Amino acid sequence: MNAVTMGRQDRQTPEAGEALEGLARLRLSGLLTAGTAPQLRALVRDAVERGRARVVVDLQGVTGLDAAGIAALLEARRMLQAQTGGTLVLRANRIVCRALRTSRTIAAFALSPGTGM
Amino acid sequence: MDTPSGSHPRPAERGVVISRGTRVYLRTMTPQDLDHLSTWVDDPFLERMVGSEFMHAYKHVWDKAPAFYEAILTDPTQVALVVEAYQGWTKPVGVVRLFNIHLLEGYAFLETIIADLRAMKRGFGIEAGKLISYYGVDVLGLRRLEAKVYEYNVLSMNSLRRNGFRQEGILRQAGFDGERYWDLMIFGILRDEIEAVRRRDKVYLPLDPSEGNGREPT
Repeated sequence: MNAVTMGRQDRQTPEAGEALEGLARLRLSGLLTAGTAPQLRALVRDAVERGRARVVVDLQGVTGLDAAGIAALLEARRMLQAQTGGTLVLRANRIVCRALRTSRTIAAFALSPGTGM
Repeated sequence: MDTPSGSHPRPAERGVVISRGTRVYLRTMTPQDLDHLSTWVDDPFLERMVGSEFMHAYKHVWDKAPAFYEAILTDPTQVALVVEAYQGWTKPVGVVRLFNIHLLEGYAFLETIIADLRAMKRGFGIEAGKLISYYGVDVLGLRRLEAKVYEYNVLSMNSLRRNGFRQEGILRQAGFDGERYWDLMIFGILRDEIEAVRRRDKVYLPLDPSEGNGREPT
């Protein structure tokens, strides 16, 4: 398999007492590699251009990632940090966590609770 | 509710084109590429000239197992791309890769393997090295690349110099070819120097919209 499936979910209204305006949720599944990472970059770029300063990337369905995939996540983090109050949060599974540890980049990311460490 | 996007094309079976030059282009690996790799790793000339850990691992550690493809594809410390020449070539001519990638520190190692003997001395290796260097800077955010070459591999040393690499040192008698020890020459290049090569050569070509480069063409 050499593909990543991506979905987008925007929340512009408060939910469960939490203000979620400006939050974008991206859900990825499959491989996040050199061949598919440009899609993630485009989605994050789109979210930033639409004023979403906070992005949650759900990687629970990702089955593998290479250096290009991790670089795309790092660039997403940089793009968002360039925004006032911008943040990137990853919801990762064991495969993703192992790749982030192997590449020694895990400390660079904010991981959501429940992440498969 | 998630909305799976159907607008993104699935990577082609022939791999996703990552970068294009005037003589060669680079694409992602496919499982079928292992057939070529299987032939290349049995070439004693290549083994002596390149001494590639990548090829050594496929032959001796993985015993040419198909699972090697998945392992390479999902290795978070490397990006391995297949080198294809444009005209008159029906098979890939080699592999180029960045390995031991340190994304936060911004450095990696470069290995260029032109495996088809007929493809040598045509500038394919120079351009493949150049394209993946640009990829390293533009997409991976690297600021330094390093390469090692056996002292007798003059062709590779000249290719690196043509691409702006500088010799930074010598690892004395660090290589062994089965008969004797050889020096390893260390080459390096920094981001500014890669940019200088890009301004000089202008080999980068814009990709089609369906192709998979993360960088906006300039």
